[in-house]
Amino acid sequence: MATGSPRAVILALAAASAIAVLSASAISDVYTEAQRPPQTFVTHTGAVITTTGEVLDPVYQISEVEFDPDEYLRNFEYGRISVDSETGQTVREYVIVAEDDLVQEIAPGVFYNVWTFNGTVPGPTIRATEGDLVRITFVNNGTKPHTMHFHGIHPAIMDGVFEPVGGGGGQFTYEFEAGPVGVHPYHCHIMPLEEHIIHGLYGVFIVDPKEGRAPADEMVMVLNGFDTDFDAENNFYAANTVPFYYQHHPIQIERDRLIRVYVVNMVEFDPINNFHLHGNLFYYYPTGTDRVASFYTDMITMSQTERGIMEFTYEHTGKFLFHAHKVEFSEKGWVGVFLVKDPGPGDGGGYNGDSSDGDAATGGSSGAAWEPAPDATGPAAAAAAYDGREAPDGA
Amino acid sequence: MTDGRRPMAHEQDRGLSGRGSGAGRFRVVASGAAPLALVVVLVLYVSGPGSTMLEVGVPLPEVTIERVDFVGSEILATVRNTGPIPVSIAVADVNDRIHPAAVEPDAYLERYETAVVRIPFDWNVAEPYTIGITTDDGTRFEREVESAAPALRPSGEMAAFFAVIGTYVGVIPVLIGLLWLPFMRRMGRQVYVFFLAVTVGLLFFLALDSVEEAVDVSQENLAGSFNGLMLLATSVVVSFLGLFYAGERLSGSRGIGGGGRVREGDGRTGSGASPRLAGPVAIALMISIGIGLHNFGEGLAIGAAVGLGSVAFSSFLIVGFAIHNVTEGVAIAAPLSRERVAVWKLAGLGVLAGAPAIFGGWVGGFAYSPIASVVFLGVGAGAIFQVMVVLVRWIGRGDSPANGSNGSGASGGGSSGLSSAPFAAGIVVGMLIMYVTSILV
Ligand SMILES: [Cu+2]
Repeated sequence: MATGSPRAVILALAAASAIAVLSASAISDVYTEAQRPPQTFVTHTGAVITTTGEVLDPVYQISEVEFDPDEYLRNFEYGRISVDSETGQTVREYVIVAEDDLVQEIAPGVFYNVWTFNGTVPGPTIRATEGDLVRITFVNNGTKPHTMHFHGIHPAIMDGVFEPVGGGGGQFTYEFEAGPVGVHPYHCHIMPLEEHIIHGLYGVFIVDPKEGRAPADEMVMVLNGFDTDFDAENNFYAANTVPFYYQHHPIQIERDRLIRVYVVNMVEFDPINNFHLHGNLFYYYPTGTDRVASFYTDMITMSQTERGIMEFTYEHTGKFLFHAHKVEFSEKGWVGVFLVKDPGPGDGGGYNGDSSDGDAATGGSSGAAWEPAPDATGPAAAAAAYDGREAPDGA
Repeated sequence: MTDGRRPMAHEQDRGLSGRGSGAGRFRVVASGAAPLALVVVLVLYVSGPGSTMLEVGVPLPEVTIERVDFVGSEILATVRNTGPIPVSIAVADVNDRIHPAAVEPDAYLERYETAVVRIPFDWNVAEPYTIGITTDDGTRFEREVESAAPALRPSGEMAAFFAVIGTYVGVIPVLIGLLWLPFMRRMGRQVYVFFLAVTVGLLFFLALDSVEEAVDVSQENLAGSFNGLMLLATSVVVSFLGLFYAGERLSGSRGIGGGGRVREGDGRTGSGASPRLAGPVAIALMISIGIGLHNFGEGLAIGAAVGLGSVAFSSFLIVGFAIHNVTEGVAIAAPLSRERVAVWKLAGLGVLAGAPAIFGGWVGGFAYSPIASVVFLGVGAGAIFQVMVVLVRWIGRGDSPANGSNGSGASGGGSSGLSSAPFAAGIVVGMLIMYVTSILV
């Protein structure tokens, strides 16, 4: 009977420990998967990590490539080309379809509802020569009204502001004369404007001068960002949408060859963005409207929709970084690499000869040798076939 | 109708004898199980495959970074999916700058599953860091660390460190408090009641302190989906009722007045066996257990604070806890002041109350879990509330005539019982003592 006290204590302790055990089992982590053997990874920042798990790194994460920054970089859409028999004016016709229900992997492992022109962010790069008639059949297959608003000179009704095009197949035909010469953005202009832009409804419109520009390896870079958690701050930044892409897929260029970058800043929320080039300086033509460079620098700063043309030539081979010198942006993806190589043996001779010709004589006739492969087919080829005046693009 | 009833009545008759009792039991089980089965059907209907009912509204993902450890040149974030849907971890960042990382075991998290995100990062001691995790839908979750400190790894050295801390904070102060026993022995009945009441006040303060601590933990470290406050309330009530029931049952004093009148002797020789648990030694033991649970929670808090690097662990803090905990020894000693108790028993009680601080330190430092903390603190609070109830009843029994043998003139109900001045004053003094010493912590 004297054991009553110890027994009570034991029971009390048992009750307490039962509660503790229950709670402990409730919180214990359940690892259902078998452990993998540890693997060592060198990450894109150079850090080395050994893990039995998965790696979060743009180099190792497998992405569903719905948008290919390499393809976008040097792709120019010249439209379906015809000549107005009465005026002799070149007519370029495009079909642009807007959608707002696509979900794309805009960064490795991150899926975001993009609003698109022709299925990509940015939309296609529309390219025309000054004075051409640009005719765009705009189809809105989205759920919301959208428009196309071009920066440039055009009639009020073609401004894409006061004529919302309804979703579910609404149509509008934008028609205007390409001008002025330069590089311009286009974007949707439906309110709330910020919402329509940040979801991806923007693209680049290039107007070439009639006399053409010096032959060059040309590319487009749209500096953009994504606010994936809707807190009015960008979570990701990039040149051409995919963060860190050109860091792992360096843009290959050739030594001594003129490089021309059409750069457009479409970043929202942050008042400025910038572009810094390593190991070189570039000539900068703000908005591309003037034929004389305004700056010779390695650093430009741009506000919203500010844009321009950069021209440079590398005399050294190797890897050269380009990135936002607002380092926050570069650490969130707006960083890339130019890989400068000696001209290859196959096209080297032709290239060198053409290069000197082309540089010396503006509008030289030998584009094919140094133009990247894609223009062998598609609109560029069509344009090349049609328009002999466009030195940078074709014969 | 009437025809139909008769066979049934007949069956029921048979049911009372032998074979039929199985069917009767089955019927009871079935009647109990039927509503459960309906609940299952309801759940399946609403959320099972093919149901479109709940496709209204968009479930939002949520992950919680439960802890951040700084190890070598890595930052480790323990991430738990605390949302309603599975998520994949896509991006890790430090101070809102994207960094490559590894996720173990993998990036896909079912509900409540955890993963460790390892970010190679040369962190600097004592600098604040914000660790961010972005899920596959682009939502970013973050946790701020006020001051980076090297994480504690379970090692003999660290275990010894926490043992020393726990001894300083828990064991030694409680034992010192017990040394007031000889002093308390020489007191009259009224002073005795006063000290018991002081104990009640101390315990009340400790219980509230545990609850407050648990509320803090649940608000700062626990995802909303865990319902921290309700977890705490449940822990307190379960602990209180469990210990109360166990105590009542085993002491045999189911009725309030059960064996209260029996004069308690030494634990070994007492003739009134059934009310043993209500005896002074038993009460002291229960107080020890309650305080032990509380000190376990305190140890958790200290261990976690050191382990998470959220405070600078100073000697000042140890001194504060130590002084604070001396009062706990008084609480154990008070009910024993009318008893002869072997020294080893007394020491045992002290260790029982103080040593859990050591274990708490180990758990808190090496395997901190906010859920476990809330549960333990709640259990501790419940245990202390239970001890308070026992103590108050013990004091109340002092009013009974049986205590007349004490010779201290306890005939008047107001002189030394629950309505007496010493009782009220004791509680107030007990709480004041705790409040003042708590400022030191
Ligand atoms: Cu729009």
